[in-house]
Amino acid sequence: MDISRRGFIKITGAGAACLGLSELGLDLGPARAVAAELKIEGAKEVVSICHFCSCGCNIIMSVKDGRMVAAEGDPDFPVSEGALCAKGAAFRSMHYNEHRLQKPLYRAPGSDRWEEKEWDFVLDRIARRIKDTRDRDFIVQNGKGEQVNRVESIFELGASQLDNEECALTHQMVTGLGIVHMDHQARV
Amino acid sequence: MTNHWIDIKNADVILIMGSNAAEHHPISFKWVLKAKDAGATVIHIDPKFSRTSARSDMHVPLRSGTDIPLLGGMVRYILEKEKFNREYVAEYTNASFIVGEGYDFKNGLFSGFDPSAKKYDQKKWVFTVDENGVPKRDKTLNHPRCVFQLMKKHYQRYTPKKVSAVTGVSGENLLKVYEIYAATGAPGKAGTMMYALGWTQHTVGVQNIRLGAIVQLLLGNMGVAGGGINALRGEPNVQGSTDHCILWNTLPGYLPLPTSDQTTLEKYLRANTPQTHDPKSVNWWSNKPKYVVSLLKGWMGEAATSENGFGYGWLPKADPGVDYSVIFLLDRMYKGQIKGGFILGHNPAQSMPNSNKVRKALDKLDWLAVAEIHNSETTDFWRRPGVDPKKIQTEVFLLPSCQRGEKDGSITNSGRWLMWHAKGIEPMGRSRSMGSMVVDIFKRVRALYAKESGAFPDPILKMVWPEVYDADGVAKRINGAYTRDMTVKGKQYKKGEQVESFLFLRDDGSTSSLNWLYAGSYGSAGNLARRRDLAQTSMQARIGLFPNFSWAWPVNRRILYNRASVDPNGKPFNAAKPVIAWENDKWVGDVPDGPAPPMASPRGKYPFIMQMQGMGQLYGPGRVDGPFPEHYEPAETPVRSHPFSAQLSNPCMKGAQSDMDVLAKPGDPRFPFVLTTYGVAEQWCGGVDTRNTALLLETEPQLYVEMSPELARLRGIGNGEPVVVESARGRVEAIAMVTVRLTPFTVLGKTVHLVGMPFCFGWTTPGAGDATNRLSASVCDPNVSIPEYKACLVDVRKAQKVTELHV
Amino acid sequence: MAKALFIDTSRCIACRGCQTACKEWHGLPAVPTRQRGTHQNPPDLNPFNYKLVRFTEAKTAGKVEWLFFPDQCHHCLEPSCKGTAESFAPEAIVVDKKTGAVVYTEKTANLTAAQCKEIQQSCPYDIPRRNDKTGILTKCDMCIDRIRADLAPICVKTCGTGAMNFGERDAMLAMAHHRLGAVKVSHPKAQLVDPEDVRVIYLVTNPEPALKKQGKQAVESYSRRELLGGLVSPFRRMAG
Repeated sequence: MDISRRGFIKITGAGAACLGLSELGLDLGPARAVAAELKIEGAKEVVSICHFCSCGCNIIMSVKDGRMVAAEGDPDFPVSEGALCAKGAAFRSMHYNEHRLQKPLYRAPGSDRWEEKEWDFVLDRIARRIKDTRDRDFIVQNGKGEQVNRVESIFELGASQLDNEECALTHQMVTGLGIVHMDHQARV
Repeated sequence: MTNHWIDIKNADVILIMGSNAAEHHPISFKWVLKAKDAGATVIHIDPKFSRTSARSDMHVPLRSGTDIPLLGGMVRYILEKEKFNREYVAEYTNASFIVGEGYDFKNGLFSGFDPSAKKYDQKKWVFTVDENGVPKRDKTLNHPRCVFQLMKKHYQRYTPKKVSAVTGVSGENLLKVYEIYAATGAPGKAGTMMYALGWTQHTVGVQNIRLGAIVQLLLGNMGVAGGGINALRGEPNVQGSTDHCILWNTLPGYLPLPTSDQTTLEKYLRANTPQTHDPKSVNWWSNKPKYVVSLLKGWMGEAATSENGFGYGWLPKADPGVDYSVIFLLDRMYKGQIKGGFILGHNPAQSMPNSNKVRKALDKLDWLAVAEIHNSETTDFWRRPGVDPKKIQTEVFLLPSCQRGEKDGSITNSGRWLMWHAKGIEPMGRSRSMGSMVVDIFKRVRALYAKESGAFPDPILKMVWPEVYDADGVAKRINGAYTRDMTVKGKQYKKGEQVESFLFLRDDGSTSSLNWLYAGSYGSAGNLARRRDLAQTSMQARIGLFPNFSWAWPVNRRILYNRASVDPNGKPFNAAKPVIAWENDKWVGDVPDGPAPPMASPRGKYPFIMQMQGMGQLYGPGRVDGPFPEHYEPAETPVRSHPFSAQLSNPCMKGAQSDMDVLAKPGDPRFPFVLTTYGVAEQWCGGVDTRNTALLLETEPQLYVEMSPELARLRGIGNGEPVVVESARGRVEAIAMVTVRLTPFTVLGKTVHLVGMPFCFGWTTPGAGDATNRLSASVCDPNVSIPEYKACLVDVRKAQKVTELHV
Repeated sequence: MAKALFIDTSRCIACRGCQTACKEWHGLPAVPTRQRGTHQNPPDLNPFNYKLVRFTEAKTAGKVEWLFFPDQCHHCLEPSCKGTAESFAPEAIVVDKKTGAVVYTEKTANLTAAQCKEIQQSCPYDIPRRNDKTGILTKCDMCIDRIRADLAPICVKTCGTGAMNFGERDAMLAMAHHRLGAVKVSHPKAQLVDPEDVRVIYLVTNPEPALKKQGKQAVESYSRRELLGGLVSPFRRMAG
C-alpha cells in the first residue's frame, strides 16, 4: 500500500536514530542500545485498522522478519490523525498474547476437556452435522402449503467482528442452507 | 451516522445523549473538542457523569428510560417558542401532510390498537391523498389535521413540570438545554446529535431515535454540515455487518427477506417496491427490483435466469409475523427447538440479556461450531462454574480465528467509510480467517450434497462459491459486474467487467452485485477502499469532507440527505459551511442526493430521496408502535404510574416468554434500584478480546458497580467493598465504586437510586467477575427487537462472601 | 533550546491511550491489579508503568468535577534526582544534550535501595521507581529513541485530543501560556505547573487542595518551590 506520511517518520539516516555518545559525552553501556535504537527503523509498514469501535482508526504495523515490532496510529488517517485510545494502542499486544487460540479444538459430548484436532477433522465433522440436521429438519412447505425452503433448527450468530467480505459470504452460505435464525451484534 | 466523524467539528451545539462518546469512541472527542475550540457548546445528557461529561460544558443527569419525555419537552419548546426552521419544515418534511380521520391518540394509545395481539392496525394512520394517491398538503401548516398541528397537540402534553417529574432533571437544567439546543434552528446554525446504545437499548428504542430525528428536522439540522443524527456504531464492523445484513429479516443492502406469502419474485417485488405518483419525489426504493435481481445473480450466477425468477424460488421464506432475531432464537434454543449452529466472533453467553438463560439454552444444543480468537464464556459454556460437563451433551468445535493484522479485507466505519486493511503478518499458529472457514465449511457441505443429495439441494449446489477465500475477489463480487456483454447509453461493457455504480444495476439479469449499496466501491478505477488521497477542494476542505480518502456508501456521498442543506433554490442554508451548492447549473461540494436540479426548478426533486414521499418524516406511520414517539416506562420501572397517560409500558413491547423470563413488578420493593449497563473505555463489549490483552486488563481488571455516596450510605457499603447485585433473574458480585458522579434522582416526588455496571467481565478471566447480563431482561423494542439493557430493577447489598471475584 | 512536552489536562479524556502506548512502546509487562473503587489503575507509578493517568473527583456546591492527570516524569531543567545520584553513582542519571531528556541508565543498578529511596525523595514530583529485582531505577525516558529520530514521544503521538504536545521548548511554553489564557475563561484557577523549571509543562484546571475524592485523593498546590521546601509530594497522596 502506498503511504504518504505527513510528519510521520522523518529518519534522516541510521546515525540519527542512535544516541550519539559524543553528544552525551557518556558511555551508557549495553542499556544504551535499548534506549537508543529505534525498533521500527527499516521495518515494512502495513496499514491495518483497529478492531474496536467504529471510528475505524487506521493503524500502521511495523513488520520486521514477519513479526510486528510495533503498531501505532496512522497520521494520514484524517479522522484520528495518528491518535489511538487505550484499546488501539494495545493493537500489537492483542496480536501477540498467550491466550490466543492456535489450534482447532474439539469437545466431545459429555467430555470435560478440549482435544486438539486437525482442521480437516473439525471442518468435515461440522459439514456432516449441518447436513444431517438440515436433511432431518428442512421445511419445504409451511402449514398453509406455501413453499418456505427453510431450516429452523440451525442458527447463525455473528458477527460485526467480520470483514465485509466475510459477512457477504456468511450471508450467502446462510441463505443457501435456508437458515432463518440469523443475527449478530447490531444491538449489543 | 448521517454525517461522519470529522463533521462533528462543524457543529454549533453538540448534544451527546445516550452515548458516552469520550469513553466508547474516544477519537470522536478530537472533533468534539475542535468544535468546542471554535465556540460550540457541548451538552451531555446521561444518567452518569462520565469522562464525556468531564469534557462537556454541561452534564444533565437523566433517569434511564426517560429520553422521550426530555425530547418531547424540547419539541414542545421549539414549537411554542417558534424556534423551528419554517421553510425547511414546510418544504422538506411531512409537517404539511394531512392525516386521515383514522388517526387518533387517547389515554396513551394510538388508534387501532388490538390488546390481544399487542399490535396496531397501522392503516388507521395513513395520510389523506388526492386522486393520484399523493398526500394532500397545507404548507401554511394551519390545517387542524396536518402533521404539524397533530404533533403540536401531542407534545403540548410534555410540560416542563411533568418532564421534570418523570426524568428527574431539574426545571432549570431542562430550560437551559432547550434554549441552547433550539437556538440551532436559526438558519446558518447547526446542532448535531451523537447517540449510541443509550438511546437504542430500550423497549422504546426506535422511538427514542425517531424523536431525536424529529427535533433535528424541526431545527433544519438534517443534511447540513455539523448536523445530522449520528449513531456512534459500536463493534469494529457493525456498520458493514449491518449493511451486509447479518440479520434474519433482511437480505444484503437492506432488502427485505421474502415472506411465505410472497411466492414469486413478482409478488415479492410488488409487495416491497414503493410507488409514488408525485413527479418531484425520487422514491429511490423504486429501484429495488434492480438490486434484488443483481443480488440473486451474484449469489446464483448462471443458474439464475429470468425463467426461474433468478432463483428467487430457492430463497428461504419467513412466516409473516414470526420474529427470528436473537432474543427469540435463544428462547427457542432454550426450549429445545434449535439443534445446532454457528457462532462467529460473538459471545452471547456473556453479552445477551438474561445470560443465565442463554447459558442453559446452549446446553440444549446437539452441536455448536464457534469461531473465536480466545476462549470465551460461549466457547466454554459446558464447563462454566456450577455445571457438570458430563451432563452436557453438546459436541463443540472451536475454530481458532486470526486477528485483523493477519488478514486482508475491508471494514466500514460509523461514517460509512469503506476502508481496506492489509495483512501484515501470518496468522498465529494454525489460526485462520473466518472467511476461509466459511468458504471451507460450505465447500464441504456442497461436496456432501453433490455426493449424497439430500433435502432441497438446489440452492446449495447452484450457488457461486469460491474455491479459496480471497477478500479482494469477494470485494469485487460485492461491487458487481456485467454478466454478459452489454451496451449501456452507447458505451460497451464486456461480460465480467465491473459495474461503475448502482446506477448501472439492472433487473434483467445482465448485472450482478452482492450489495447494491457498495456498488461503485470497486469499479474500473479499482478498489476505492484503498484510497489514501487527502486532496479536497477548498469548499470541501472547509467542512473536512475528504472525498478522496477511502470510499463512502452510497456513491461516495459523505453527508446523507445533503439536498436538505440548501434552500429550494440550491443556496446553502449556511454559506460559511456549505455541503453542496448549485453553481453554473451543476452541484459542487459533496456528491448530492441525486443529480436533479434544485427543488424549486421544474425538474427539481424533494431532498429525502429514500422516503417514498421525499420528505423527512415528522409523522412516521411505518413504526409499529405509533406515528409519534410517546413516553412509556421501561419494562421494569421504579414507578407505578407516570403523568403522561395510564399506559405504563410500551403496549407493543416484545419479549421472550419462559420460566426464566421473570420481571419485577412496577415499583417492586424487592428490587428498588434502577440498573443501567454499559461498557468501559479500556474493555470492549463482552470483553473477550480486551480481557485477554494483559495491558488492558491491567487498567480495568474487575467488575464494579457504580453507585452514589447516598445509596452507599443507605446500604452501609464502603468504596471498594464487594457487593451483591440482584435482579428478578440473577445475582452478580461486583466491587462497589462509590462515586459522586452518580446522583439520586427525584422522580414524582420520590428518591430513585440508579446504579451502573459494565458488562465486559466474565468467568473465563479468573477472579474478574462474571456476566452483568445475568441481571438484564429479554424484553425488547417492537420494531427491531433490540433488548432493554439500559434499564432494569435490582437490589444491592454488601457481600458476605464472594466466589466470583478475587478480593 | 531542546525539547519539551506540554500536557493540557483540560483536554484530557482519560482514554489512557498514552498510558497503554507507553507500555507497548517500552515493552513493559502488565502488572496485576484489582478494582479498588476507582478507575485509576495501577494505583501508582511502578517500575512497569512510567506513565499513569490519575483520576480525582469531587462534588462542590452540587457541581461534579472529574480531573484527569497523565502523570509522568517532568524532566526538570536541573534534575534534583541527577544531583542526588551523582554522588552515589556517576552516570546513573544523565541528561541528553540534544533533547534535554533526563535518562536513567543501567548504571542505576549500582545504586543501593536506600540510595534509590533518597533519589526518589529528592524528586519534587515523586516519580522514580526502583525495580527491586534488577535494582534499576525507572521512569519516563521521553522516548529518547523516538525523539532523537524526530518522532514525537509515543504518548504524544497517541493522544487524540491535543492534551499531549511535543516540540521545541519555547514553542511549548508559548502554547502553554496561550492555552492558559483560553482555559482561564472557564477555569479561573487554572495554572501552569512550574513552567520555568521543567520540560514537561502541565496545565491544570483546579489546583485546589479542597478537591478530594472521598477524602482520600487530593490535588494540592503544584508549586515546586513549596514542595522543594519540604512538603510531601502531592501526587503520592493522590493514589487512593
